[in-house]
Amino acid sequence: MNGGAPSGGWRGSLRQRLLIGTLVWIVGSIAAAGWGLADLFGQHLARQFHAELLAHLDQLTAALAFDGEGSPTLAGPLSDPRLQRPYGGLYWQVERLDGATAPLRSRSLWDTVLALPPDSPADGEVHSHRIDGPEGEPLRAIERVVRPEERPGQAWRLVVAADEGLLSVPLQRFNTQLLLALGILAAGLIAAAVVQVRIGLQPLARLRHGLTQVREGSALAITERFPSEIQPLVDEFNGVLARNAEMLARARTQAGNLAHAVKTPLAVLANAAAREDGVLARLVREQVATAHIQVDHHLARARAAAAVRAPGLRSPLRPAIAGLLRVMERVHAERGLDLVLAACPADAAFRGEEQDLQEMLGNLIDNACKWAHRRVEITVEGDGDHWRITIDDDGPGLPEAAREAVFDRGVRADERTPGSGLGLSIVRELAQLYGGRIELQASPAGGLRAVLVLPAA
Amino acid sequence: MRLLVAEDEPTLAAQLREALAAAGHAVDVADNGRDALFLGEEEPYDAVVLDLGLPQMDGLSVLRRWRAAGHTMPVLILTARDAWHEKVAGIDAGADDYLTKPFHLEELLARVRALLRRAAGQASAELVCGPLVLDTRSARVSVDGRPLALTGHEFRVLAYLMHRPGRIVSRSELTEHIYAQDFDRDSNTIEVFIGRLRKKLPPGCIETVRGLGYRLVCPP
Repeated sequence: MNGGAPSGGWRGSLRQRLLIGTLVWIVGSIAAAGWGLADLFGQHLARQFHAELLAHLDQLTAALAFDGEGSPTLAGPLSDPRLQRPYGGLYWQVERLDGATAPLRSRSLWDTVLALPPDSPADGEVHSHRIDGPEGEPLRAIERVVRPEERPGQAWRLVVAADEGLLSVPLQRFNTQLLLALGILAAGLIAAAVVQVRIGLQPLARLRHGLTQVREGSALAITERFPSEIQPLVDEFNGVLARNAEMLARARTQAGNLAHAVKTPLAVLANAAAREDGVLARLVREQVATAHIQVDHHLARARAAAAVRAPGLRSPLRPAIAGLLRVMERVHAERGLDLVLAACPADAAFRGEEQDLQEMLGNLIDNACKWAHRRVEITVEGDGDHWRITIDDDGPGLPEAAREAVFDRGVRADERTPGSGLGLSIVRELAQLYGGRIELQASPAGGLRAVLVLPAA
Repeated sequence: MRLLVAEDEPTLAAQLREALAAAGHAVDVADNGRDALFLGEEEPYDAVVLDLGLPQMDGLSVLRRWRAAGHTMPVLILTARDAWHEKVAGIDAGADDYLTKPFHLEELLARVRALLRRAAGQASAELVCGPLVLDTRSARVSVDGRPLALTGHEFRVLAYLMHRPGRIVSRSELTEHIYAQDFDRDSNTIEVFIGRLRKKLPPGCIETVRGLGYRLVCPP
């Protein structure tokens, strides 16, 4: 069994773990309670039964009298009507201990005699027996031996018996009802436990949703509040995310500082060499150009490689494009270019780092503006998974054969225009790192069309 | 034209100063953000070359402070990072153009020329006033096609006037725009330069407006 797998039996599922535990506990405690209650009620019934029999026996003892011939008789009838009804379920019997005379019996015994086991109790002591009744039903009998004052020397055995069914019927009824009640209770408790577990584990589902959003890039952190047991976990996670972002930002700043530190001396060297015409000056010019390309290339790579691994990135397209268009409008103010963002859904966002987005768009829009005669048009459309950014210019365009070559590092379509010739190769590298692509086509506007496809956030 | 170069790397600053001076400008250099901020607020520069990575106060903050205080001189920012977000931030802070290090000095000069032209409302790189032609790219003046030999100060006075044809320019305005800050200024020398220019130019080109200053007159 794989402990980490979500479907790995009860160990793998919190829900099953909680449910099984609760189930065992509910069933166990209800069974114990049922057994205890039934037993208690049984004992109570038995005691009551015994007390009733004892009351009848006392009544019988009190009513016992002897007629002139010395035969036992009752001074008055006993109160319970069941004693008058044949096989009424309650019986009494008086007999001599030595069996010398026929026993005196209750009317309910009709023509039967209670067969008592031989016994020799002490006088007045109450004994209890189980015997068979007139119809073979089990009877509970209690007896007492008395020696009447009128007949000293004679011992009389007084017996009162009752059908045990009187005991078992209510007991059975009680047990049935108890079982029913406890069953309903158990079902209710189990249902409550299921609901409780479901409600209790709901934050986990929300947590999962939050994590998915972070992974997909539609959220930067898990902002929802969670129960106090889960919140520390969420806080830790958010902390890790923030640290990641911070490290990324620091790496970028350092890369930028490095660029600044290296490029300023490069600028000085290049400017100094530009005024000389010796072999050394030419060498310096060449090497400065190479160094420039290398620095740019590796900086771009390092930045992008760091960004692609960072989760939770989301960069809106519209403000990025608008910012770049402001730059272009200012920089190319004299040329009176028409820079148009023809269509861009407000919610369009790229799943990646904002600076990388600006890098890709900036290079493409800058290119288009450099070559355009009058107009550059940008269109953004999406299919849910990707955004397709189309940049059209009405410039001279690029012959099909040359379109692939401009993606090579250091190749420039126009050697006179300043720049390291890295633009398009960086765009392609970034786009590919993020799982997108860049294509150059002929534009319906007459010039070049650049199509940048980027993953949507 | 009077320019400010804010660049902390001394060699690059010297190269910029030299190249811009050779193009006929009076150049001040600030090697940190605070000095740049102060100079930009106090002196009437015609354009500024501003490095973003300045010590004490970064270039973007300096630029924002200038713009917030209402200074509208054209600003060319220099950035080493070649990152678009920085260019966007620079333009949004009020820059007029940007240049990425390392750059060719010719490129920088061309951008500065374009900024000055744009600020003066001139579209062409050649300023024309009757028979007078000033090529801002080569910093040369010709009359009817014949090149004119001018000293640095004479050129600056004439260039300033030619960026503003027909406008009255006071003596003090001329002084502020043709001398660098550390130069020992004497507004009387302006009269000397004007006098020399009048001798070299066709008669009637530079008018004196009594009590106000000078005006360049371009015959139709």
